[in-house]
Amino acid sequence: MEMDSLSNGNNTTATASTPATVSPDSSAATARATPTPPPSSTGPQLTEALKLEHQFLRVPFEHYKKTIRANHRAVEKEVSAVISGVTDAASADFSPDDAVNHLNSLVSRLQGLKRKLEEGSRAENLQAQKCRARLDHLESADGENLSEWNSTRLKRILVDYMLRMSYYDTAVKLAECSNIQDLVDIDVFQEAKKVIEALQNKDVAPALAWCADNKSRLKKSKSKLEFQLRLQEFIELVRAENNMRAITYARKYLAPWGATHMKELQRVLATLAFKRDTECATYKVLFEAKQWDFLVDQFKQEFCKLYGMTMEPLLNIYLQAGLSALKTPYCYKDDCTKEDPLSQEAFRTIAMPLPYSKQHHSKLVCYITKELMDTENPPQVLPNGYVYSTKALEEMAKKNDGRITCPRTGSEYNYTELVKAYIS
Amino acid sequence: MDLNDIRDAFDHVAKKQKLSYSKSQDIVDQIGHEIEQALISIQLSQESQKSILTELMLKLNAIGALQQLEGSQKELNISVTKYQKLLDKLLYPDISKVYRTADYDAHVVNQILANHFYHQGLFDVGDSIMKEAGEPEATALRSLFLEMHQILEAMRVKNIQPALTWVSANREKLVQNGFNLEFRIHRLQFIELLRNGNRADALKYARTYLAPFASLQENEFQKLMGCLLYSGRVENSPYPELVSPSNWTEITEELNRQFCTLFGQSYKSPLSVAMAAGFEGLPTLLKLANVMAVKKHEWQSMKQLPVPLELGKEFHFHSIFVCPVSRDQCSEENPPMLLPCYHVLCKQSIMRLSKSSAQVFKCPYCPAVATVANCRQLYF
Ligand SMILES: [Zn+2]
Repeated sequence: MEMDSLSNGNNTTATASTPATVSPDSSAATARATPTPPPSSTGPQLTEALKLEHQFLRVPFEHYKKTIRANHRAVEKEVSAVISGVTDAASADFSPDDAVNHLNSLVSRLQGLKRKLEEGSRAENLQAQKCRARLDHLESADGENLSEWNSTRLKRILVDYMLRMSYYDTAVKLAECSNIQDLVDIDVFQEAKKVIEALQNKDVAPALAWCADNKSRLKKSKSKLEFQLRLQEFIELVRAENNMRAITYARKYLAPWGATHMKELQRVLATLAFKRDTECATYKVLFEAKQWDFLVDQFKQEFCKLYGMTMEPLLNIYLQAGLSALKTPYCYKDDCTKEDPLSQEAFRTIAMPLPYSKQHHSKLVCYITKELMDTENPPQVLPNGYVYSTKALEEMAKKNDGRITCPRTGSEYNYTELVKAYIS
Repeated sequence: MDLNDIRDAFDHVAKKQKLSYSKSQDIVDQIGHEIEQALISIQLSQESQKSILTELMLKLNAIGALQQLEGSQKELNISVTKYQKLLDKLLYPDISKVYRTADYDAHVVNQILANHFYHQGLFDVGDSIMKEAGEPEATALRSLFLEMHQILEAMRVKNIQPALTWVSANREKLVQNGFNLEFRIHRLQFIELLRNGNRADALKYARTYLAPFASLQENEFQKLMGCLLYSGRVENSPYPELVSPSNWTEITEELNRQFCTLFGQSYKSPLSVAMAAGFEGLPTLLKLANVMAVKKHEWQSMKQLPVPLELGKEFHFHSIFVCPVSRDQCSEENPPMLLPCYHVLCKQSIMRLSKSSAQVFKCPYCPAVATVANCRQLYF
């Protein structure tokens, strides 16, 4: 599959990495080879960077929406309770005193609601501020502070990873020492933390409460998390040999899922005929402790989906792209430079299943100086076929009265024996 | 992409949210007002309380509180939807589109992260992740980087002692750079003494620590001794650059580099490098996925990316020769060859051009001719 290079808006690198394209008969080329001035703006590259930040903007917005919705529901509930309180009073046979007491209680209920409204609005405004802080942060990126911005970007991604892995203390530590609390979603994950910890303690209640809280959205995405939680609760009843309760439970909570998930339902119901120590593989697995880990994973997935996060930690996504971009067959050789992350076993392991990078143009790196060999620093060939940069060889010749020693073979030559290679 | 469009859309949402709040407040106030009016009527007027309550009920119904609440919420929802659509349109809604499903060993990733934090000098964070991840013990690199950061930290407060101790302990291993580095560190201290006007101390320091380098760094040594005349005002000497604060940062950086090299570590954190490559490469991958509508399983099985991800110079670690004729990347099986005219092609291209090994062929880039036998293999 051959395709032209798609521009990634990366002007800086495109100009900087022009390969050595001199032909022997064009002396003009050398004259033209003045250093490329750094481009004044990294505009397109920056735009591309910002386009990757969907989750960064989306998560606090989901949080904001959630707060708004919860407040709205609370108001609706209270207002309709007060109105029906009046309706009830109108049809009841109250004494004047009773009527006054009743109305007074409604008035104080309304006052309570007003306080709640104010609190709610404060919470909403805080969330809105957080959304704005994210926009500000994206806007703050420019050509000058890009390396600092990128270093913050890495930290944000690391915090995301640690939150998803439930390394909460580390996430908080890193966010605090880098002063990026507004740019990470620690508060959002507090909600997940409670549910996950309960599930790890074999308690489904907080998870079920979470499902109820987000009922309409979970239904829309056809989530079956609640069903899975219910199945687990059922299994626990069977495990405790509480068969009668298990059946009542199944009627009440599992039956409604029958229409869509009959097969799974039947399989779990069949455990009634076995016991927790069954050797039958189909059912044995349902009693295993790893079912709880599975529920944690399921919950995490639903949670991420609900908040508009990527399914994978950001770290994994960027790391894959980066390692693929760096991966060449030479990375796996023993003499791979330490500066290449792929010289390290851990990175090699992660990069193993990834595709190699592709190059349309030669990129030659001097073995001695590790600098790029291009028109300004052209490659020169030793009589043994080994190639080094002019800079490195000139330096060597200067120090050793014009003698050159090939660092890889030990052969010695005179500087005059070298020839310039033309790479196009 | 214009961030202002996103900001405008967001401001719209925030405006509607505030409106919705004041609407709710109004409604609650109205209801409260009506109930309080009814309370007064019951206590003061002669009217039967029943009819007052009925009237109150009718008034409340007339307000249509719930409909009003719903209405303002609906308006809010419209702006919310608009905002989300805008985000989906202007940004990549799912950057995991080009992700290859892979089972990462969390242990490997945790080691990478901990080492990254140690490399950056964030020992607290590194230790914390090891603890929370339940990793058995600190990585071997921890003590190494701890030593390094203690030296660098001391340099930042102009304490050269730890650096000197380290350099002289590793003098042999640092070979050519060791002496140079040691001299430069002493020079920093000497200038610091002069800068503070301690001429006598500076002279003493020079006798003890700089003199041993006098023969190796003769010019530099004499220049420094000349500076003794400018005690307390080195900036007025012929060498004002000697008091530049960047000298300290430069040497600190150099120490950092030397330390990493000596222990076979990279100067930059490998995680930072890999992620920086990801920052540059991911947009191209996403564009590619959009253009080619690459299927998930195609990503899974790809052996080589279909397009180059152009990375900056700092990411070029290996020589890659792409034959200008065949556009193939050279390998051990198909190495680059130097023609007698000094143009370079891959072996396969040469074989194809010459048809048989004895036959003369013309270089595609100049009028010169060659045979396979007078081409030489190159090693980059
Ligand atoms: Zn030629």
